[in-house]
Amino acid sequence: MQCFHCGANIPAAAPMEIVDSNQATLSFCCHGCHGAYLLITGAGLGDFYRRRTASPAGDQWVPTPPGSPYADTGSHFSGDYLSRFVHCKGEENAIDIIVDGIRCASCVWLLEKMIARLAGVRDVRVNYATGRAHVVYEPALASASAIFSTIATIGYTPRPYTPTAAAEAASQEQRDLLFRLGTAFFLTMQLMAYSFALYAGYLQGMGDRTKFYLQIFSLLVTTPVIFYCGRPFLAGAWRAVRNRASNMELLIAIGALSSYVYSVYALAAGGEVYFETAAMIVTLILAGRVLENGAKRSACSGVERLLGLCPLSAHRIREEVVETVDPAELRPGDLVLVAPGDRFPVDGTIREGITDVDESAATGEPLPVVRAPGDSVVAGSCNLTAAVRVLCEKGAGDSFVSRVARLVEEAQSRRAPIQGVADRVSAVFVPAVIALSAATFAWKLLAGAGSGQSLMTALSVLVIACPCALGLATPTAIVAGTGAAARRGVIFKGGDILERLAKADIAVFDKTGTLTCGMPQLLKVVPAPGATIPMLLSMAASVETGSRHPIGKALVEEAACRGIEYQLGRDLQSHAGGGVTGAVAGQEVVVGRLEFLRDRGTRGMPDPFPEEDAATAVGIAQAGRYCGCFLLKDRLRDEAADVVSYFREAGVRTLLLSGDHDRAAQAAADATGIGEALGGLSPAAKAERIASLKNGGAAVLMVGDGINDAPALSAADIGCAVAGGTDIAIETSDLALVKPDLERLALAHRIARRTMTVVRQNLVWAFLYNAIGIPLAMTGRLTPIFAAAAMAVSSLCVVGNSLRLTRVPRPLFVPNGRRPGGESAVPKGQAPSMRSPQSPIHHPPLSGEVPPGHAEARHG
Amino acid sequence: MDESLVTLMVLSLFLGCGCWLIFLWAVHKGEFNDIERPKHRMLDDDEDLK
Repeated sequence: MQCFHCGANIPAAAPMEIVDSNQATLSFCCHGCHGAYLLITGAGLGDFYRRRTASPAGDQWVPTPPGSPYADTGSHFSGDYLSRFVHCKGEENAIDIIVDGIRCASCVWLLEKMIARLAGVRDVRVNYATGRAHVVYEPALASASAIFSTIATIGYTPRPYTPTAAAEAASQEQRDLLFRLGTAFFLTMQLMAYSFALYAGYLQGMGDRTKFYLQIFSLLVTTPVIFYCGRPFLAGAWRAVRNRASNMELLIAIGALSSYVYSVYALAAGGEVYFETAAMIVTLILAGRVLENGAKRSACSGVERLLGLCPLSAHRIREEVVETVDPAELRPGDLVLVAPGDRFPVDGTIREGITDVDESAATGEPLPVVRAPGDSVVAGSCNLTAAVRVLCEKGAGDSFVSRVARLVEEAQSRRAPIQGVADRVSAVFVPAVIALSAATFAWKLLAGAGSGQSLMTALSVLVIACPCALGLATPTAIVAGTGAAARRGVIFKGGDILERLAKADIAVFDKTGTLTCGMPQLLKVVPAPGATIPMLLSMAASVETGSRHPIGKALVEEAACRGIEYQLGRDLQSHAGGGVTGAVAGQEVVVGRLEFLRDRGTRGMPDPFPEEDAATAVGIAQAGRYCGCFLLKDRLRDEAADVVSYFREAGVRTLLLSGDHDRAAQAAADATGIGEALGGLSPAAKAERIASLKNGGAAVLMVGDGINDAPALSAADIGCAVAGGTDIAIETSDLALVKPDLERLALAHRIARRTMTVVRQNLVWAFLYNAIGIPLAMTGRLTPIFAAAAMAVSSLCVVGNSLRLTRVPRPLFVPNGRRPGGESAVPKGQAPSMRSPQSPIHHPPLSGEVPPGHAEARHG
Repeated sequence: MDESLVTLMVLSLFLGCGCWLIFLWAVHKGEFNDIERPKHRMLDDDEDLK
């Protein structure tokens, strides 16, 4: 049974049930979800639930359950603190809020409606793309903290937004590009009307005066296109000239300028003009750039979100008085109180109290760890069970999260902008064309033609060599390739990523959350003599109900799946780092680590403990007597082995880098077929290892999740974040998978290689055109009007070839259900994960590949 | 004939300029900041349209 609000599995015992207006029974997993449901329907927004299931992306919507530690952060922002982020505009106040957890359009709808219902709110705009809300309200009636707690109550996490300089600059650049593109489109449309009239005139004859007017108007509209809209290219070309280098921009600038200059000259001397060539190059290339820029912009917001992990207020203890301060004011030596559910504001050591800490944000490891006095804690990780006092060791600016944010920022800026295939081509092509053009001029002059005639011929060589097809070869293929990938749930953060991915020599995988699901699953139940498996599960579920610990959740889920009845335990107590105790049917039940059971004096403990490599053992005891144990293990993803073998067959080496211990890393590597595994690596060590691979000349693809992977993802040539990991990791990587499904990674790799093949075909085609056209132009046999026609045909061929990429590539593997059992490379006790015996190159037919509900389905 | 041609061309330029100014205004106002949401917005068949 699933919760109507959050979709989580509901334990069989005592679910919250209500009957709605349509006489249907709705179940909820907890009071929090029930409350959220009442709130949403009470506001007349019950439509949300219908919308959510009807919406194609609905299957991705997972709200933060209201009971989770993240859900009530809204109430932790005091009004004083929030007032810093409010802008006053006359009688209105406005605030920008980052809202975490927006997954689909229904979320945006719900948020806008819920906030708009608050008294005094004048306007709400939730930006789906950036996940930010802009709220305008009357300070007399509404308050920022009321808005924040409304957002938090319905299960999203609000944070005040402060724009960083980089993000401001990026959005400024996007706006600037849009201005240029819009202007270029408008003027080019006008220009084409004149050009068509001129074409007709050329073929049918036209009065000289009429032709002159049309040409003058063409000049009028082309000039701003070249010198205003094309300014980014002209500036880039000028930089290239000054550095004595050659790049794509230089090629574009030469193409546009030469046809412009030629046309101006022809206008004065009386001839045919080719303004449309110049304007078209600029407009089309500008359009490609706008699309690419939009994808890159999101990378900036990754760092913003990372910094947003740090809590924005801290509770400092001074002479036993708690005061709320800005974390930036904390100095080493200050004592800080951190309540359960709060995030640690600074790096420090625990002074008082024992608690479970969820460090998944910082380390990517999903299991909470125990922190006792003397242990260190990392800023940004979440305190789960008990209030603790922490001695601040570093200022907030030096905290782990801030350092990672800086690392990522550095890596992003240090990364040299990759010069595409066409750039390297243009390095040879541009000087060659200029040389040919100059040679033509000299040759004509020596042959006795007038200087005007010689110049015309020389310029026509430049016009014909115009890089229209060459310029379009790469951008169109890349736009088509990234578009095709995006429809299949793979987001490339720019065209250069495709090229780099196609060239990757080594694929590096993280273990937890990447090759594995990131959630422990019950592997085996080992009952002691006299106990049965259902009995053990029933007892465990009784005491673990409501547990936030992933192991507890896994046990409760298992009991619910098997339909085992259980009653709710009483006197439930959670012991940080040990386990849970409670009373079931009047007898004490203890579930926890085997050491914990032994310390409590449990009788009949087995010796040695049942063991399974790399599995976590959890024991259970009733009335002081050992009853059995559960073995849990983080399960490998079903498709992990297939993807590894795909990469091997594609000629890409594989390597596993893990923060987990060596033995676990090796086990995962053996199970998936990864050649080499290294364990026990810190985030910095992973990044170093990748840097040294790169120094060795390899192109490195890093696949990971979690913030601890963020430096490694940035250090690699291509960083790929698997969804289900943190937003931050996804946004700091080059390539993101929208669903935690590694098959998409293999798909991305194939799309990248296909795209590069198409780019190469396009380039060959463009060269062929030039190889024929340039000699004809040099001898003066090809008049530019025919050259322009040939160029249009050549451009169309290039665009058409690129569009082939948007077709659905055939699937890589047989879908899970029909996967034939091949030779098993999986150790005993491992979840079934067979290597597909057939090579990924022989593809099964397409039909039936897309499972319903997958992201692709909505795009048909 | 040439006069009418020039007049028409100037007229079309003016008309085009009008559209262009509307575009500039839209970019300035941030209408293109979120191009995902509006396509879903029309499906919100609410009674209280603002």
